[in-house]
Amino acid sequence: MAALEIEHVEKTLRSGQSVLRDVSFTARDGELLAVVGPSGCGKSTLLRLVAGLDSITAGVIRIGGRTVNEVPPQQRDVAMVFQNHALYPHMTVYENLAFGLRVRGTPRTQIDRRVRQTAAQLGLEAMLKRYPRELSGGQRQRTALGRAMLRNPALFLLDEPLSSLDVPLRAELRRELAALHRSLGTTMVYVTHDQSEALSLGQRMVVLAGGRVQQIDTPINVYHRPANRFVAGFVGWPPMNFLTAESFDDGARVPAGASGLEYGVRPESFSTQAGGPDDLQLAGRIERIESQGSECHIELTQRFGRVLARLRCEKLPRVGEQIRLWVRRSDLHAFDRTNGQRVELMGLERSGPRPEERTQ
Amino acid sequence: MSLQNRTLRAGTYLGLAVLAGATLFPLLWVTSIALMRAPEAAAGTPSLWPHHPTLVNVINIISRQHLGRYFFNSLVVAIATMALSMLVAGSAGYGLARVEFRGRRMVSWLVMLGVLIPNQALVLPLFEMFRTVHLVNHYAALVLPAAANPVGIVLVQAYMRAIPADILDAARIDGASEWRIYRSIVVPLMAPMLAAVGVLIFVVSWNDFMWPMIAMQQESMQTLPVALAAIDREHYQDIGLMAAGATMTMLPMVFVFLASQRYYLRSVIAGSLTD
Ligand SMILES: Nc1ncnc2c1ncn2[C@@H]1O[C@H](COP(=O)(O)OP(=O)(O)OP(=O)(O)O)[C@@H](O)[C@H]1O
Ligand SMILES: [Mg+2]
Repeated sequence: MAALEIEHVEKTLRSGQSVLRDVSFTARDGELLAVVGPSGCGKSTLLRLVAGLDSITAGVIRIGGRTVNEVPPQQRDVAMVFQNHALYPHMTVYENLAFGLRVRGTPRTQIDRRVRQTAAQLGLEAMLKRYPRELSGGQRQRTALGRAMLRNPALFLLDEPLSSLDVPLRAELRRELAALHRSLGTTMVYVTHDQSEALSLGQRMVVLAGGRVQQIDTPINVYHRPANRFVAGFVGWPPMNFLTAESFDDGARVPAGASGLEYGVRPESFSTQAGGPDDLQLAGRIERIESQGSECHIELTQRFGRVLARLRCEKLPRVGEQIRLWVRRSDLHAFDRTNGQRVELMGLERSGPRPEERTQ
Repeated sequence: MSLQNRTLRAGTYLGLAVLAGATLFPLLWVTSIALMRAPEAAAGTPSLWPHHPTLVNVINIISRQHLGRYFFNSLVVAIATMALSMLVAGSAGYGLARVEFRGRRMVSWLVMLGVLIPNQALVLPLFEMFRTVHLVNHYAALVLPAAANPVGIVLVQAYMRAIPADILDAARIDGASEWRIYRSIVVPLMAPMLAAVGVLIFVVSWNDFMWPMIAMQQESMQTLPVALAAIDREHYQDIGLMAAGATMTMLPMVFVFLASQRYYLRSVIAGSLTD
C-alpha cells in the first residue's frame, strides 16, 4: 500500500503537442481516487506515466514516498487494467492470471492457490481453462481485473475498466469494484470519462480537461461547489443551466458580484412553488416534456435562451403553456465571464457542505 | 440455411474444386509418368495412369545420378535458410514494429528497398563477396544471403504492427523483462506469421536456381534444381527419368505444406481486445 504523489507533471509529445500541463495531485494511501474528464483530455496518458510506460517531460512522480521518475514499469509495483483489457490472447484465463506471478518466480503451488482464490472471488472458476476469445465482455473484464489483483500491488491503475460493458453489468461491476477496494484497501486511481461513475465511485475526484487539473475534491464538493464553469457543466446530468441576470423576473434581486457574471442553476434546483420570500423566479414556455418515470425533464424557452428543469411529473402544465419556476438564492452558482472561475456570492448560505466538512 | 445461401456455397465449392484440380493435375501426371517404363513414358502423349507401375526410374536416378546427394544438399540449405530466416525475420520484424530506437524509419525503408531489388541484380556482387571470404562451394554461400530475406522481415513487421501495444505493456507491468516478453508473448503471437514466412522461405530456397548454380561450382555441392537441369541436358530423351527427378523435387514441398498449414491458418488474435 502506498500513496501516489504527482507534482507539476508535464507531458509533451515528440510532435510538440502538449498533453499534460502542470498536473499535481495526491492519491492518499488506501484511497479510491477517480480521475474524470472528456475524451482526449490526457487520462490514459496520465496513467501510462504513473505506470512508467511513457516518460514524463517534467515533474516528479512518487509512489509510497519513492521517486519513480527513472524506475522502469517492471519495478514500480503497480498493476494496471487497460482500457481495452489487453489480455494475452494465446493464454488461458488461468495463464493470464498466473503470468505476473510466474515471471516473478513464485512457487508453483502458491501460484495455483492464489489464482484459484482470486478466480473464486471474481466468479471465474469455471472459466480458467478458456481463452480470452471464448469469454463474454464481463468475463474478460473480470479476468483483466483479476490479473491486476493477483499481484497484490502497491497501487492500482484502472483505465475506464467498465466502458465496454452494458449498463446493468457496469453497475454490477461498479459495486463489486467498490467492495473490492474496501476489502483490499489498496490505493486505486480510477480513470473514467463518465462523470456519474466518478461521482458514485470516487472518495475524491480529479477533474481533468485540456491536460490541466480543473478541480480536486470529494464528489459532493465538486458537485455543489464546482471550481469553474467547465466543471459545473461537465459534472452532473442533465447539465447545469447557464443564465444571465436578465433570465430572472427581477434581475435586480439576483445577487451581484463584480460585473460580468454568469449564473448556473442545476436542473433539479428548480421547483414549481416558492420555498421562501427570497426565492428567485423565472418563467418560460414549455417546449418539451420528457418523462423519466418518477420525474420529468422540462425544456422551456425564454427570450434569453433555453432552460432545463427536473421536476416531479404531477400537475405540470402542458407543452406550449407558460410555466413559472422558483430557485433558492443559495442554489445559484456564479462564474466570472472572463475566466470562468467560480465567484462566491456574498451573504449566501450554500446548500451543499462547505469544504471543511469534507466527507472522507 | 436459405436456398440462396446453399446455391452460393455449392458454387464456391465447385469453383474451389476446379482450381484444386487445375493445380493438382500436372503434379499427378508427372508422378504417374515417373512410375512408367520407358516405352510407355515416351509415347507422344503419355497416358494419365501407369499401366505397369514400376520404380525403375526412381532407382535409376538415385543410384546412377547421385540424386540422393543433391537432395541432401537442397534439404540442408533449405532447412538452414528457413531456420535462420525465421530467427532474423522474427527479431528484426518485431524490433522494427515495436521497439523505439533512433533511425528506425530509415532501417524500415532500407529493408523495403531490399524487397524491390531483383535477386539477379545481386548475383555478381554477391559472388565477388563470397569469393573474397572463400565461402564459394560452402553451404553458407546459399544460406547466408537468403536468410536475411527482406520479404520475411516486412511480413512480420506488418503483422506485429497489428498486435496491440497494450498487450506488451501489460506484460511489462506484470514484471516481465523485455527478453521474457519476446519469448512468452511476442513469439507465440507471431507464430502463425512466422510459420508462413518459414514455408515461403523454404520454398524459395528449394526452388532457387541461378544463385546456387553460380555459387556451387563443385558438382558434389549442387542443389537439386541445378543438378536436375544438368541431368536434363544429358538425358532429355528419357522422360520417365526426368519425371522421377521432378517428382522427388516436388515431394518435400507437399510435405512442408501439409505439415505447416494448421499453424498459419490459425488466428490467435481474436478475442484479446474488446472490439
Ligand atoms: N502515441 C500518441 N501519439 C500521438 N498523440 C497521442 C498519443 N497518445 C496520446 N496522444 C494524444 O494525447 C491526448 C490525450 O490522449 P489520451 O489517450 O491520454 O486521452 P484520454 O483522456 O485517455 O481519452 P479517452 O477518454 O478517449 O481514452 C490526445 O489528444 C491524443 O491525441
Ligand atoms: Mg483513454
